[in-house]
Amino acid sequence: MNHSLLRIITLITGLLLASNLYAKAEYTLKFATLAPAGTTWMNLLEEWAQTVKTQSNGRLVFKFYPGGVQGDEPDVLKKMRFNQLQGSAFSGHGIGQIYSPARVMELPFLFDTFDEIDHVRNQLMPEFEQGFHDNGYELLGWMEIGFVHMFSKEPIHSIKEMKSHRVWLWQGDPLGKAFFDASGVSPVPLSIIDVYTSLSTGLIDTVYSTPLATIAMQWHTKTRYVSDIALTNAIGGLIVTRKFFDKLPADLKKLLQTTGKETGEKLIAATREDNDKSVAELKKRGLTFIPPGDGMSKPELLLIRDKAAAELMRSNYIPKSLFDRTSQMLQKFRSTQSSAKAIMAN
Amino acid sequence: MMKLLKITSLLLMVLWLSACSMGQMVARSSVSILDGAVDAMNRETDLVLAESAIPANLKLMEGLIAEDPGNTDLRTYAAQGFYGYAFGFTELDDARRASALYQRGFDHGVSALQEQGLKIDLQNSHPDKIKNAANKLSNKSVPALFWTASNWGKQIDLNRDDPTRLAQMSSVEALMQRVTELQPDYYYGSAHLFYGVYYGSRSPMFGGDFKQSELNFNRARAVSDSKLLIIDVLQAEYLERQRLNQENFHRLLTGVIETPVGSFPEMELVNQIARERARFLLEKEGEWF
Repeated sequence: MNHSLLRIITLITGLLLASNLYAKAEYTLKFATLAPAGTTWMNLLEEWAQTVKTQSNGRLVFKFYPGGVQGDEPDVLKKMRFNQLQGSAFSGHGIGQIYSPARVMELPFLFDTFDEIDHVRNQLMPEFEQGFHDNGYELLGWMEIGFVHMFSKEPIHSIKEMKSHRVWLWQGDPLGKAFFDASGVSPVPLSIIDVYTSLSTGLIDTVYSTPLATIAMQWHTKTRYVSDIALTNAIGGLIVTRKFFDKLPADLKKLLQTTGKETGEKLIAATREDNDKSVAELKKRGLTFIPPGDGMSKPELLLIRDKAAAELMRSNYIPKSLFDRTSQMLQKFRSTQSSAKAIMAN
Repeated sequence: MMKLLKITSLLLMVLWLSACSMGQMVARSSVSILDGAVDAMNRETDLVLAESAIPANLKLMEGLIAEDPGNTDLRTYAAQGFYGYAFGFTELDDARRASALYQRGFDHGVSALQEQGLKIDLQNSHPDKIKNAANKLSNKSVPALFWTASNWGKQIDLNRDDPTRLAQMSSVEALMQRVTELQPDYYYGSAHLFYGVYYGSRSPMFGGDFKQSELNFNRARAVSDSKLLIIDVLQAEYLERQRLNQENFHRLLTGVIETPVGSFPEMELVNQIARERARFLLEKEGEWF
């Protein structure tokens, strides 16, 4: 074989490969998220899209709408139902409107450590995936928004003190409402869009959020105190409609599921890291972390949790059986951990 | 009498020279030359020539600053120069490098502001404290305030994955607020332009406000009589993208490209950069909408 022939074959092979890689996409996944462009979250989602594009030889591509350009989560969900969008990264707020039982993971004062969260999540994941599927969606990856703290203008040491404050409630969030009802706090329901301004005008003086989200929304400039204790660990998910997913050939379904799961794990790790950095940043900026005071002992907080859970179970927002199983899993894990520690100590 | 005058002049000269090194004298006398150089650069229509020439000017400025570190005019020109070079010629191709250039611009701006009396740690102070400190500054600090805030804002924009940077956003606004109070039409109303981007680049959930954004873009237009094309480009890039208005996005950018060269001779370089950026953004239209 002479050199010219070899060159021509190489050129043709190269052209074929290139045309295959950049062939017009057969499937376009329009995916919305509240995460602004350039943030760690969005960077990881873009990395996911690139992997899918490369591994599907360009047959499946993402089209992103970052930074909430498609609206708040309820707007996005509506657009997904009309097939204007096919996917989104939702927080617990949006997840609750698709498959509310998954929010068992967000019950107040449930988890103390990431190990506990990861253990229970891994056990419940097949059930959650099935739940999303049965409701017309596919859960491709699990995420976390992080541990949620109270941020206030004045120091709040106890639930009793919280009652005298103007506390924000994310309008239309049954879980938040159940928590405040159980605590005897009368919150001010507002859309998340109005929180920053309402902190400025004094309509509210206390909000709840993760450290990273608080910084992203600049709420840290309007508050001075942070509760040391976390109310809950906020969840999230990478979700697509079944209307879109079911049309995909088997290999692309598998690709989306595998890479979605991997991306979820990367997002969880990155979110934990960013929240740690954010706590350090908040401290550096002079926000004071308030340790729990009277009426905030573990048993007292668990009473509030159980009361909130009872309200959510009454409406079947979270089924009783799921709550019981989650509690048992957690108990079992904690006792295993204690035994392991005891053995190590001996 | 003449002899006495000569001796006095000589003594004064010696005293002045001892207080001010030769390097400082050269640096100080160069400021007026730089005024002319900046004006000439603003009128440049050849982007290739401008891109090649600006780095040498920046290094010259840094050389002069090394001789006279407390020279606020030089520091401010450097802040402006680094911003212009990063925004016009670096950011779209190499965000990491642009970020480093904005940082250098910011550092020069901070030095100028410190010389003018802003003696606080800008990056770690609460916005209220920055606001109070900035309130003590007068009109002469407007250029340093504006270019420091502009470099800082872009630094944050290019490092949105860093919580430390994100936490500083309200502080930048505190500086720019002072510019709008003191001299809102500085640099063709660019503080309004800043607010157009500030409110337009985020969803309302993250503190964005589309009405405020549009209002500020229009205020900026009024100052330059709609001749500064970068206003349309930034409105398309930030506000129209954020509120998902493809029609406006396309109309504004094609309008910029179609505006004949020479429509605003005093700011032709910025307008050429605007045209270049408009072409880049139009290529993204299919991806973003």
